[in-house]
Amino acid sequence: MAGIFVYSEDIMVTKQLLTAGRALADALQVSVTALTLNETDTAAIIACGADKVIAMTGTNLWPESYAASIAGQIEKEQPTAILIGGTLRGKDVAARIAGLHNCGLVNSALSVEVVSGKVETTRIIYGGLAVCTEELSDGCIVTIDPRTYEEAVADATRSGETVAYKAEIPDDATNVGAVCPIVRERADLAIAEKIVCVGRGLGSQDDMKMAEDLAEKLGAEIGCTRSVAEDYHWLPTESYIGLSGQKVKPQLYISFGVSGQVQHIVGARDSKIIVAIDKNEKAPIFEAADYGIVGDLYDIVPALIEKLGK
Amino acid sequence: MNIVACYKWVLDEQDIKVVPGSLSLDMSRAKGKISEYDKNVIEEAVLQAEKHAATVTALTFGNSKAKQSLKDALSRGPAKGFWVNDAAADIADGFVTANVLTAAVKKIGEYDLILFGEGSSDVYGQQVGPRVAALLGIPVVTFATKIEVADGKVTATRKLGDCTEDVTVTLPAVITLLPEVNKPRIPGLKQVLGASKKPVEELSLAALGLEKEAVAPKNKIKSIRGYAMDRKNEIYAAGTTEEKVAALVSSLTKEGLL
Repeated sequence: MAGIFVYSEDIMVTKQLLTAGRALADALQVSVTALTLNETDTAAIIACGADKVIAMTGTNLWPESYAASIAGQIEKEQPTAILIGGTLRGKDVAARIAGLHNCGLVNSALSVEVVSGKVETTRIIYGGLAVCTEELSDGCIVTIDPRTYEEAVADATRSGETVAYKAEIPDDATNVGAVCPIVRERADLAIAEKIVCVGRGLGSQDDMKMAEDLAEKLGAEIGCTRSVAEDYHWLPTESYIGLSGQKVKPQLYISFGVSGQVQHIVGARDSKIIVAIDKNEKAPIFEAADYGIVGDLYDIVPALIEKLGK
Repeated sequence: MNIVACYKWVLDEQDIKVVPGSLSLDMSRAKGKISEYDKNVIEEAVLQAEKHAATVTALTFGNSKAKQSLKDALSRGPAKGFWVNDAAADIADGFVTANVLTAAVKKIGEYDLILFGEGSSDVYGQQVGPRVAALLGIPVVTFATKIEVADGKVTATRKLGDCTEDVTVTLPAVITLLPEVNKPRIPGLKQVLGASKKPVEELSLAALGLEKEAVAPKNKIKSIRGYAMDRKNEIYAAGTTEEKVAALVSSLTKEGLL
């Protein structure tokens, strides 16, 4: 039996996966089966395009512990492709299933589509320098990061089958305790409209004041490169933009003192307009920029703040 | 206690150039390095070993060029190296790498803690650690920023975007680490010199006795192309500060951003 499976522990992400999953299923003329850990979401999932929902119930609240049960459903139904939401929990589950099921796994796909009857994905490699296109083997798992696809539009007239499934949780003596929410000191960069980004070109933490002033003038949030957060701790870890940090999509991204290593750029290059200010005209950030000023940030940024103030 | 620190010898992505026009990749000047995330892995293994009087084995799967990685890896503190030397590593995916490393870990025999990076700095597949755990049938905790071993168990603090959680599992176990777990030491001359005296076991892929399909990558790579940067590249380099700022503000106004 063929078909497309989708799973995420997060209903918002499940709806985004259904956009991609429905398109694949229609191209291959197969059905979409969604797995969920939450019975109350089944109607919404069907409205968003699933033909069948398997609502898994179990005694364990830890989403990762359902990997073996999901792998069991995959063994039984033999789907052509399995789309899993690329949250960190989702990637954990995906890799566990891939190990149990001995199947392929493509993480953080930028796109997934049917080309000449085969499912193909693209993803970035070498820190964002290159894009790799793969033709998937049957039964391959693909994770897709949140917000890669828009949520599927709900249509309440759609109908589908709902199956309840009692999950068997393996007893491997895993004990989950002390779950602490991370309190965000700043706004969520992932949804910011404008971002001022600072890098190691800043001489001292006092210069963060310039970033704050510029951000205030622009109505922007403040982000940074990895070393500003991880080495200097001038901003919290969740403020750094890059491959292993935040992926941002603002209308305007304006950086100063950022050289533009590819690992950073990959987090910012979905911005509509990229502006760079740096004294090194050979800095790679300028290749990634729409507009740039070559100059000393200590001259340029105060002049820009003043100009914007008028 | 026995700790296995898994690492990958990768091309330094900073040295890879995208050829304009064709968007093919020029790797002719790219040097090798231990994957950045795996420097944290080796460091954590050694830190844990210092605390618990454990033996650390550095394990890698790489082609013949990975030989030079062992000296670097061992200068960071592990007692011995284990290298599966085969050109198949060049095209291995997460499935193949996990099969090879699982077979290698079984060959090493004694293991309590197996550490991996969350991904490699070249292809960042983010899957080998949990796959190895599944193949060995042992627990795994991913994305750890802190680990503590006590009483035959390991507690790892995971960082998951919107929360942290402490997960305790019984040893033997696999843990994958986030880079913030530690700051890797920079080996001194003495450590570098000492590294060449440490034992390294080299094995061919054939010696691991894996089935043919276990070392065949799952997916077909159709193309690898440089990411096309399509930007306006209007750079103001000449003129006074005021002129340059005025030019930028004018452009951003035209874009409707101010």
